[in-house]
This record gives sequence, structure tokens and C-alpha cells, in this order.
Amino acid sequence: MTALIELANVDKTYNQGQVNEVKALKGINLEIEAGSVVCLQGSSGSGKSTLLSIIGCVFPPTSGRAAIAGKQLSRLPDRFLTLHRRASIGFIFQRFNLLPELTVQDNITLPLMPLGVGPRERKERAARLMERLGIGHRAGFPARQISGGELQRVAIARALINDPPIILADEPTAHLDHALSLTFMEIMRELHRDGKTIILTSHDQLITGHPAVERLIGLSDGMLHVP
Amino acid sequence: MFLNPWSVALCLLSLVVLILLGIASRTAVKVLRHWNPASDSNRQISLENETWLSSTLVQYALGFQLFSLVLFVLAADNFSHVISGAMCAVGSLTANRYGMPALWLKLAGAFLYGLWLVVHHFDISSERYPLLKFKYAALLGLMPLLGADIACQTLYLAGLKPDIITSCCAVVFGEGEGKGGNLMASLPENRTLALFYGLAAVLAVLGHFLFRRRRPSLMWLSGGLWAVFVGLSLAAITSVFSSYVYAMPYHHCPFCLLKPEYGYIGFLIYGALLPAGFFGISAALASLVPAASGLSAVVDRFQRRAVLISCLLLVVFVISVSYHLVLYRLSGGEG
Amino acid sequence: MNGLSRQLNVIDYSLSSLWRRRFKSISVMVVFAAVIFLLASFQMTTKALTQAASRLLVMAPEITIQKMRAGRQEPIPVAYQKQLAGIFGIRRITPRVWGYYFNETHAANLTVIGVDPRLMPLGEKLASAIDTGRLPGDHEVVLGQGAEELLGGNRIISLFRPDLSLKPLTVVGRFRPATDLLTYDTLFLPPDDARDLFLLPPELATDLCVTVANPSEVDTIAKKIAALLPGTRVLTRGQIEKTYHAVFGWRSGFASVCLLTALTSFIIFAWDKASGLTPEERREIGILKIVGWQTADVILLRFWEGVIVALLSFVAGYTLAYVHVAFFDAGLFRPIMLGWSVLHPRLRLSPGVELSDVLLVLCLTVVPYLAATVVPAWRAAIIRADSALN
Ligand SMILES: Nc1ncnc2c1ncn2[C@@H]1O[C@H](COP(=O)(O)OP(=O)(O)O)[C@@H](O)[C@H]1O
Ligand SMILES: [Mg+2]
Repeated sequence: MTALIELANVDKTYNQGQVNEVKALKGINLEIEAGSVVCLQGSSGSGKSTLLSIIGCVFPPTSGRAAIAGKQLSRLPDRFLTLHRRASIGFIFQRFNLLPELTVQDNITLPLMPLGVGPRERKERAARLMERLGIGHRAGFPARQISGGELQRVAIARALINDPPIILADEPTAHLDHALSLTFMEIMRELHRDGKTIILTSHDQLITGHPAVERLIGLSDGMLHVP
Repeated sequence: MFLNPWSVALCLLSLVVLILLGIASRTAVKVLRHWNPASDSNRQISLENETWLSSTLVQYALGFQLFSLVLFVLAADNFSHVISGAMCAVGSLTANRYGMPALWLKLAGAFLYGLWLVVHHFDISSERYPLLKFKYAALLGLMPLLGADIACQTLYLAGLKPDIITSCCAVVFGEGEGKGGNLMASLPENRTLALFYGLAAVLAVLGHFLFRRRRPSLMWLSGGLWAVFVGLSLAAITSVFSSYVYAMPYHHCPFCLLKPEYGYIGFLIYGALLPAGFFGISAALASLVPAASGLSAVVDRFQRRAVLISCLLLVVFVISVSYHLVLYRLSGGEG
Repeated sequence: MNGLSRQLNVIDYSLSSLWRRRFKSISVMVVFAAVIFLLASFQMTTKALTQAASRLLVMAPEITIQKMRAGRQEPIPVAYQKQLAGIFGIRRITPRVWGYYFNETHAANLTVIGVDPRLMPLGEKLASAIDTGRLPGDHEVVLGQGAEELLGGNRIISLFRPDLSLKPLTVVGRFRPATDLLTYDTLFLPPDDARDLFLLPPELATDLCVTVANPSEVDTIAKKIAALLPGTRVLTRGQIEKTYHAVFGWRSGFASVCLLTALTSFIIFAWDKASGLTPEERREIGILKIVGWQTADVILLRFWEGVIVALLSFVAGYTLAYVHVAFFDAGLFRPIMLGWSVLHPRLRLSPGVELSDVLLVLCLTVVPYLAATVVPAWRAAIIRADSALN
């Protein structure tokens, strides 16, 4: 059985061929098994977000091969990357990236809208997740009215709504206090138990040293190294 | 006659379609020259973005073109109040020699924009965009058609001279009566009807088979028959069916059906016939997509759906067009 | 149907998105509705006036002969009738004396019509149009509603001849209010009394009306008359009607062109609103993209937003226009459209709205708006998904 995520000789160059060209990733070779919890570690500007974007099917690599959840993505048009991202990836962002005017439930079901999932099913699926994450009583609240800890759970619920095999989190705890960061990692551990593959980026000691993290991958200046 | 709200609206609509397709063809030129899927340069990224724009623009253009088609006929009907000798849309469309060509060109435009969108649909179903170059070359090929459409419409409007009573002593007269007459010689009624219903039945049976299995030879047969059927239907509407709707034996006009006096039934009739013809014919044309493009599954799914849609619309069309005739014959008109 | 529920979801989202930006949406809608209101009012007014004119013309004779000199109309000798006696197909020729009588006390024009009812093809109809009283005999007159009010409701009225001598007439009847459109400001009297009032010699009339036995021969007969009577203008009813249509069509075409400038400025305004993305909007689109919305989904979202704004504005603008024309007699436009007589403002305009009229206004307003929002919608939709990653 092959790995869930396979990157071979992956380069990513921003603004290729122009004066402001940036080689963000250089010759990345990486395999990640299904069901593992991985943390990408590196200083700011080392290419963590770029690597996460390639794994998350946000854009294709400039060169090299990338196979994510059984799909070869090298130089795939945006349209198909999106199709694959919808099905396989759940994102959790640094500042949660929720829409403050929308209700909690509407934020959570945002990924289901273009899939043509009807309102009743959307409501049911959101309700199940909110129950599980303990924010059921907040369903009708606008996102701007709820607390930081609840926001975090809403963001996680949104990533899980389409039941993707891979969860990606880009510096999820950068703006959280100690207690919230710990609960976040607890939830990740629970998801891991459900069989999700989780990839985090961070330079926060709390995450890189957390027992839930099975594997640390160092990144500096666009290249991998073992920390 | 440009200073008339209808002329203004038609010109505006043409201008809008021209601008939209103009922007789309700018993208087409760029794609044909620079498209390189292997590259990750900013140019390729922005080209990929522009492909979204071009298809959206053609969708809008198709919508506006259909609108323009309807408006053109309604405008012609309205012009008949102004042009002497014209009793209804037929009279004003035949008032100069650009009227009918403009109408046909508009119809052809709508058909081809629709076809382009079908090709686009095929193209974006594959990760390799196998029809990309063809698609954008075809988009450029649509421009002369649009040009001809706009030219004909402009010449038509320019050639319309409203009859205004002048203050001089002379009398102004139109070219006399008879202009409100007929678009075509009338067809022998019973034979036309037999052919019409016979062909409709054949198409329905063919559709039934094709929906289950798409044999290429039958597909082509069906597409060809659909083309004939659309032509025959237009002739039969003009020559036979319309006068039953109007309940006037000598009024043979395909356009007055769109008027409120007749319950806007024309919108239903043409709204069923033209899309049915489009899907009937394009299902066959879809067979032209080369097998090497790896699109056979997508093409097959499209053909299946197109056959189904064309057959459903065929039923709607036949019922709506026959309604008045059947009513007349049942109610004891001579039959 | 997955495609359908996707559309419904996107519509759902676009409604909530418009609601969240309600001040922006409403400001666009108010301006747009105002533009639509102007265009639709103008279109309805011209249409209603054209229809009113057509209805008036139903009563008009099939052929009218006017004498022209130096490009102007002048009284026609009644004797011209005799020259036309040879034309086959003419049923009757009726001399008509008509003109305007200026009432100085009210600064209003009254229409004076002098025809012998027995010679009119629709003479019987005229009798049925009289509410109280009977057709006028010598020195008698029948008044329209408005004319009666204006002249004070006396049984005997006195009118000034051009030489300021007085002409007394006995009022013997009044036209039905239902015929106001035709008779509101009318004084109907025998032709000889009309001549007397205008001091017109007995051998002259204002024009000659020709009734034709077979309507399909009107044009041929009119040509023959024109050949026999040089120096006259021969008008057929169809032609007058087409002239009305052409003139009103021209006016409303001209108006459309003028209003297109209003529309253009609106389009620029709409373009501006659609393309100026606030940082919040950019952020929102970035989020939508990264959670799985295609570029096409975002374009669709913008499309529905545009359609909803346009249709709501259209319904509001068009309804207001209808109210304006039907219940307020197009108060904003009527003075421009027609030099209506002072008496006439009572005339009710009844715009008959047909699908084609709606489509016309739709085309002149909604189409350019939607077209103008395509490119900004696309610009917004191609915001990159990774912009949400910061
Ligand atoms: N959209 C972009 N355009 C140009 N350069 C970029 C872009 N995104 C990131 N970079 C550059 O690529 C390098 C890696 O960035 P990033 O992956 O965001 O690092 P990290 O997440 O580890 O801070 C940096 O030098 C950054 O400036
Ligand atoms: Mg980063």
C-alpha cells in the first residue's frame, strides 16, 4: 500500500521568470501515511504554508509530482484541484477565517453549498457535528458574537463537514492562549482516533512537543530536514 | 429608422453581445498563442483564470442573443404600425431585403453559441482540456457571424422608412397592399400534416432507441431528421398551424403567435421546438468529438441527456402546436 | 438534480449576502429603479397616447381631403365634390367645418365641429353618444362634458365671431361622459352655424371627408382623388395612424436615447459598486474559494446577486411607472409629449401593458446592467484561494 500523500521532487516558484521570483520550495520528497499526525516545523518564510497549500490542492507544484489521496495532481488545472480539494481536504486556519456576519451553522455548511446539498441535509449534518464539538446551542448565533474557544470549534466543524480524510491546519494556535491551544490539540487527537490524517504547521513548542504529534518535519529555506 | 425605442433596444443588445464576445475573443487569441499547461508562470495562471471569464461571457452572449431574437420579432411587429402596407411582423420583416436574413443570422448565432457551450462542457470535463485549441479557434470563428448579424440588423433598421404625412401636396403611399401577405407559398395541408406527424413519430421512436443505446449510425440519422423536422415544422407552422390559432384561414404568419391576442402560445411553441431541434442536432454533432480525446464517457452522457430532452420537448411542441387544430376539427370544423 | 440544488444554494447565499450588505444593495436598487421608472413611464406614456390616438381615429373618415396652399392648409371649396362624382367606390362625401374656439375667460381651446349628422357614416352612433337631449338642428348645439362646465351650463350660450359680434346657440344636448376622449371639449353643431361662427363663406369647408364602400380600395381611391384634385392633400386613415405611431415612436426613441445617458451613468455607478471590493469582500471570497467553491460558483453568486437586484428594481420601477401613468396621468411627462389642450388633463391614460413592452424596457435597462457586472464578477471570483491562508 502506498502512502496517502506522496511528493517527489516538488518545486514551487512564485512569479516564475520575473524579477520578483521566489523559490519557495526546492526538491521536496515527502511521504505521509494515512492516519498519521504530522507537524511541519520551520521559521517564518521557510515555506510551510506553501507546502501545505500543495498538499491541500490549493495550487499545483511548479514541477515534480504530487499525489494526494490517490490523485496525481501535478500541473492540474485549478478547476480539478478544487474538485479534489472539496472531497479530500479540510482546512483550519490561523485566524479561523470565519465570516462574522453568518451564523455558526451557515459558516459550518459553507463547503456544502456548491456541492448542491439541500438545506435540510445541511442542517442535519451541521447539527451532528456541533453536538459532538459541544457548540450545539450556538447554531443560530452570528459568528462575531461567540467566544474564542467556540470560534475554534466552529472552524474545526467546518473543516470536518464534508468528512475529508485529510485535515490541514496552518499555524492553528498562533493566536490562541495556552488553554485553548491545549484543547485544540486534544480535539486533534480525537480526530486522529477517528482515522483522520492531520498535518499541522507550527513553530510553537506546545504543538511540536505535543504527544499527539507522531512525526516532526523540519523545513528551512524551502528544503526538508530532520529536526 | 433608428430613433425608435425598439431600434435603440436592438442596437443596444447587439452592442452588448459584441462587447462580450469581443472580450472573449481577446482571451481566445491569448490562449491560442500562449497556452502552456506545463508552465507555472503568472501568464499561464492568468490565462487559466481567463478561461472562466470567456465561458461566462459566451453564456451571457447566448442569453442575450436569445433575447435579441425574440425582441427582433416583437420589434418587427411593432414596426408594422409605422410602415405602410405592413399588417404584422411579416410585412415589416420583408419591407427590405435585410429583415429575414437578419432573423436567420440571429437564429444561427443562438444555435452556434449553444453548440460552443456544449464543446466547452466537453472540454472542461477532462483534466487535459483536449478541445481547448479547437474551442478558442471556433470562438474566433463566431465573430464574423456576429458581424454579419449586426450588419444585417443595422442595414435593416436603416432601410426602414416610416410613412409620415408630409406637408407637401403630394400623397405618400406605401407600395400598396399585399405586403401583409405570406412568407411562403402555402403547402398542401393534409400532406404536410401527414409528413409532420409521421416525422415526429419517427423521431420519438428513434429517440426511444437512442436513449437506451447510442448507435452512431442511428445517431446521425436522428440528427439529420431533426434538422429536416425543424425546417418542416417552421414551414408547417407558417402555412398550416398558424391559421388555426388565428381562426383566420388566410392569415399565415409564424410571428403573430407571439402576441397576447393568442395567449402568447408562440413562446411555448418556439420555446419547445427550437431547443428540441438544438439538442436533437447537437446530440449527433457530439459524435464528431474524436475518440482520442478521452471524452467518450462525457459525450455519451451528453448524448443520452440530449436525446431525452429533445424527445420531451418534442412532445410539448407537438401538443402545443396541434392544440388549436385538434380543437377546431373536434368542434366540427370541416375535417 | 444536483445542478438545480446547487443553483438554489447559491441563490440562497446571494440573498443572504445582499442582505448583509443591505445599504450598498439598496442604494444601487434605488438608483436603478429610478432609471427604470423614467424609461418605463416614457414608454407607457407614448404607448397610451398612441392608443388614444388610434381610438380617436376609429371615428375618422377613411379619406380626408384638405386644400393646401404654400404648404399650409386652407378652406376647401365644397364644389370639389362634383369633380369626384365619377370615381367608382366612393360612398359619400361629407364637407366638414371644424376649428378651435378660444375661450378667453378660461384661456382654453374648445373644439368646434360642424357636420351634418345625416351625412355622417356613423351618424346613428353619434345619437347614441348623447347623454341627454338630441342631435342639434339649426342654431342648436350639443356640448361635451368639459365644454359644458366651461360655458357655465346655461341653456343659451353666446360665442364671439372673429369680428367680435355675438352668436347665440341653444344647447339641446350633452355627450356621455364615456365618450370624453372624443367629445370632452367639443361643441357639435350644424355646418352652417359653424361657418357662421367662423365667418366662413357657405361655399367653403375645412375639409372633405370621403367614405368608401370597400375598405381595401381606400388607397386606390385616394390616388385617384389626388390625381383629380391637384393642390390638395389626401390623407387616409391608415396613414394618419401610422404617422401618429411614427411620431410617438420617434419621440420615445429620442427619449430612450436621452435616458440612455442616465442609464450610462448608472451603469458606471453599478460597475464601480461591483468592482470596488472591500477587504472584507476579498476575504470572504478567499474563504469561499478555499473551502471548495469554484471560480464559476463565485461568478454564479455574483450573477444571481445582479439578477435579484435588477429584477427587484425592475418590478419597483415598472410598477411605479404604471401608477404614475395610469393614476397620475404621467404628470412628469405629458407637457413634453404633447401640447395637450388646457381642458384635456382630465383625459385618463390607460397604458395596456403587454409582454413585449415589458421585454423592451427590460432590454433597455437590465441587459446593460447585467452585462456591466460580468467582468467585475469575474475579477472578484478569481481571487486566489491561498489568499485565505495568509
Ligand atoms: N503568493 C506569493 N507570492 C510571492 N511570494 C510568496 C507568496 N507566498 C509566499 N511567498 C514567499 O514564499 C516563501 C515561503 O512562504 P510561506 O510558504 O508563506 O512560508 P511560511 O508559511 O513558512 O512562513 C516566502 O519567502 C514568501 O515571501
Ligand atoms: Mg505561513
